Amino acid sequence: MFRRLLVANRGEVAVRIARAARAVGVAPVGVVSTADAGAPWTEEFDDVVCVGGPAPSESYLRMGALVQAAVQTGCSAVHPGWGFLAENARFAALCEQHGLTFVGPHSSTMDRMGLKWPSKVAMRAAGLDLTPGSDGLLASVEEAVEIAERIGYPVILKADAGGGGRGMRICRSEADVREAYPAARAEAISAFGNGALFLEKYVTGGRHIEVQVLGDHYGGAVHLFERECSIQRNHQKLIEESPSPALSNEERTALGERAARAAASIGYVGAGTIEFLADPDTMRLSFMEMNTRLQVEHPVTELVTGVDIVREQLRIAARAAIGFSQSGVALEGHAIECRINAEDPSDGFRPTPGTLTAFDVPTDRGPGRIRIDTHVSEGSEIPPYYDSLLAKVIAHAASRDEAIETMVRALEGAKIEGVATTIPLHLAVLASDAFQSGDYDTRSIPGWPA
Amino acid sequence: MAHVPLSPIGRPRDAFLDEASFARQREALGTKYELLDERRTEVANGWGQKYVERVHQKGKRTARERIEALKDEGSPLREVGTFVNHGERFGKLTSPAAGVVTAFCRVADRWTMVIANDNTVASGSWWPRTPEKIQRAQEMALRLRIPVVYLVDCSGLFLPEQSRSFPGRTGAGHIFAKNAELSAEGVPQIAGVFGDCIAGGGYMPIISDRVVMTEQAYMVIAGAALIKGAKSMSLSSLDIGGPEVHVHQSGCADVRVPDDDAAIATIRAEVEKLGSSATDFYRHGQDAADPFFPAFELDGLFPSDHRMTYEAEEVIARLVDRSLFWEILPDRGTEMIVGVGRIAGLYVGFVANRQGLIDDPDGRDGQRPAGILYRDGIAKVSAFSRACNDDGIPIVWMQDISGFDIGVEAERNGLLGYGSSLIYTNTTNTVPMFTVLLRKASGAGYYAMAGLPYEPVVQVSTPLTRQSVMEGRTLAIAAFNTKLDDDFEIVTEDPDERAAIEAGMAETEARIEGDMDPYKAASQMDTDEIVRLGELRGWLETFAEAAYQASGTRRVKNPRIWSLHDLAALAEVRG
Repeated sequence: MFRRLLVANRGEVAVRIARAARAVGVAPVGVVSTADAGAPWTEEFDDVVCVGGPAPSESYLRMGALVQAAVQTGCSAVHPGWGFLAENARFAALCEQHGLTFVGPHSSTMDRMGLKWPSKVAMRAAGLDLTPGSDGLLASVEEAVEIAERIGYPVILKADAGGGGRGMRICRSEADVREAYPAARAEAISAFGNGALFLEKYVTGGRHIEVQVLGDHYGGAVHLFERECSIQRNHQKLIEESPSPALSNEERTALGERAARAAASIGYVGAGTIEFLADPDTMRLSFMEMNTRLQVEHPVTELVTGVDIVREQLRIAARAAIGFSQSGVALEGHAIECRINAEDPSDGFRPTPGTLTAFDVPTDRGPGRIRIDTHVSEGSEIPPYYDSLLAKVIAHAASRDEAIETMVRALEGAKIEGVATTIPLHLAVLASDAFQSGDYDTRSIPGWPA
Repeated sequence: MAHVPLSPIGRPRDAFLDEASFARQREALGTKYELLDERRTEVANGWGQKYVERVHQKGKRTARERIEALKDEGSPLREVGTFVNHGERFGKLTSPAAGVVTAFCRVADRWTMVIANDNTVASGSWWPRTPEKIQRAQEMALRLRIPVVYLVDCSGLFLPEQSRSFPGRTGAGHIFAKNAELSAEGVPQIAGVFGDCIAGGGYMPIISDRVVMTEQAYMVIAGAALIKGAKSMSLSSLDIGGPEVHVHQSGCADVRVPDDDAAIATIRAEVEKLGSSATDFYRHGQDAADPFFPAFELDGLFPSDHRMTYEAEEVIARLVDRSLFWEILPDRGTEMIVGVGRIAGLYVGFVANRQGLIDDPDGRDGQRPAGILYRDGIAKVSAFSRACNDDGIPIVWMQDISGFDIGVEAERNGLLGYGSSLIYTNTTNTVPMFTVLLRKASGAGYYAMAGLPYEPVVQVSTPLTRQSVMEGRTLAIAAFNTKLDDDFEIVTEDPDERAAIEAGMAETEARIEGDMDPYKAASQMDTDEIVRLGELRGWLETFAEAAYQASGTRRVKNPRIWSLHDLAALAEVRG
């Protein structure tokens, strides 16, 4: 195992990784921006290196400075956490180039899963369903029209290269396709030098269900069941739970097995998440994308499976085989996570940086148990430069109803002052009929006015 | 330090070049690309559709169709020498591509050099410069130790011009000397014989390790036309030297196959039996990866006016994997950039000219122009070149250079000596070197940076390339030196004489400008190919993969024992 690990991240995830590192006997080294210097959470580390100014581009995204920090503090591995450089293949390659093990999949796997069409091709070859659409890149506008007519409107045209919405067009008719095709091509050529497009059905609504997988260097792969993440606002997940109320046990096992096989077939190494979209009408699950990193919502999986995912990441990175077999993974009870953000839900979710004058979330109200993942405490400063996540409150109980009740009791008893938080939103959702029945999807936030 | 400490290089394009300039430059180059595409198509058409049909009527494929069938589906074909003889007429005739296609061609996941007589141009006969073009391709294969595939369909020398292609040192016969040399060096050669192979055409396949003949093919020292009594016996060339004779009686060929397709399939099967590519082994655990900053942007990075500058670092950033690069000796001889990056996962050394102004280490004027070689830069490049050669790292030379520094200081500093040392280094290097003439390739700078006379494995130009001893303006000054003052202004007061001098200088300048046309250079074989800047990355991938393909035949040291590390360690500033 590594002696020292650089945690190339901040806040809650940095703390989470530091603790897992200690648990396996690895000394964690942290990095901070000048805005985070001296923050209480930095006490989790043996050593802390300041890598630059407050803006992420001046600190947490400075690849050269992070690698230099790792080398100078004698680290042998780098954990990127999530966000920042976690899915940056260039950073992974840079680390390897300097002899630092990047805790994550190989950079070329990240490349492959980062590109839209290659990842879909790989996953289809691995036996996963795709959203109905073109079978590869489009040769002509005629082909696009023909496929759109076959699968039905609306459809979405997407550029094979790049991202950021460029080269992307939603089409609701043949006329739309004929107009959008050349425009999307021209946009993609100008932005990426590659005008290749593909087309798929544009699905609105549906449920976002994702499967946690682990793969090792020796071809081994297991799944840790699924998470339901359909409570979202602007594609930001708010509440996640495991297992999904939308799947039967048979469906759940079959989905997990397919995901694990897919991970094995692409030689996936480390922790990853395969995201699926369940069609609102048919509940058919099609592959959306693979996240090649640790997810924010990983604790719900940890609570229902008993597997410490970060610890497994470190073990796998040190070239150990996965420490258990698929048959050794059982689902126990139900877990729900609420992301408590420093945002004001009554004011358009405006971020509310400031000083926490009180921070207490009770963990002893039952009936289940509460886990809190956080980097803050009373007196903490919430800087304006970063993600507004304050804490994740995770409830685990024998049943879904009990997990909801446990969560409600904890949040009702929470005393967080100095900044506005998203707790009122969570309580409204938890109280809604739709959430309680488990019948919800990504189109709206149950219990919360749109 | 046994790691190869690559660092991020480059910036997003909009951080250093605004959208309008980028679009304008891309458009200007686009016009030149249109000409390039047009001329490529013209060459590829050979003598035209009539001759294609004639080939098809015989139940044969054209040279380019054979290559298409030979190469791995979807792989790029890197043709070299496309423009040899471009614009040249022999009597009324032209010889597109000098009647032979030579290209890096991927067959069964291995790079090969394919040499295919163009049977749509005078039945694949050899023109002036055809032998030289074939030998150049053989030389590339020899230096890289990649297999050679000959697709032979050649009716011999184009006899009206025989005096220009037969007797000299590089006359047709030297092709067979190269065949022998390749064989002696253990480089596999495979020949497919597809049709008439008379005289030279008959010799070319024979030294190959495998010779495959179609039923339409014959190899003869002299065809039936020159054999006494052939007519009365109604003997054809096929009777004299067809597969019946050469496969079964003489043993000059190995396999007979019914037609072109079967011959190509047989050749592919033979290539597959050769050792597979070692490239993945030499990637040292990494995979090939694209540059982080996209290579296509190179099409808009270069100012249309060759006197305007750009950032050489941004060019490198768009060529190396993930835009990661290790610059060595960054603080000395800053007019030059030397360092190591990966291309398709393989380590490659880069030497490039920085552009614009650099700090003058002697501090006299504060700054001085880059794109010129000064003493430290020459010494740095020479040391780097020697180290790469020692370590087995292929070198890519990227020229945009006006020449050596001149003047009192330059002579006192012994630039002649330092330059000679560099020339010695590059001449005696055995590691594969590739030269890219980005824009200017002028004067001794062209020589010092492994220009064609120093025998790089391949030298490519771009539509912007200007090869010359000096720019037209400079030559005009030199030619009219006696008529000019210290500031190179015309001295005379006589308006007529002034006009004559002005006209003379303008004419000199215009003629040199015309001579610097890259197509003229390519036609004369003063450069191997003209490529798009946006395609440069793809070409370098081919070069790197070909250079690392063979194992056990050239020095490829693992990075732990690179002498480059010693160079870098000693350059660290201490204390």
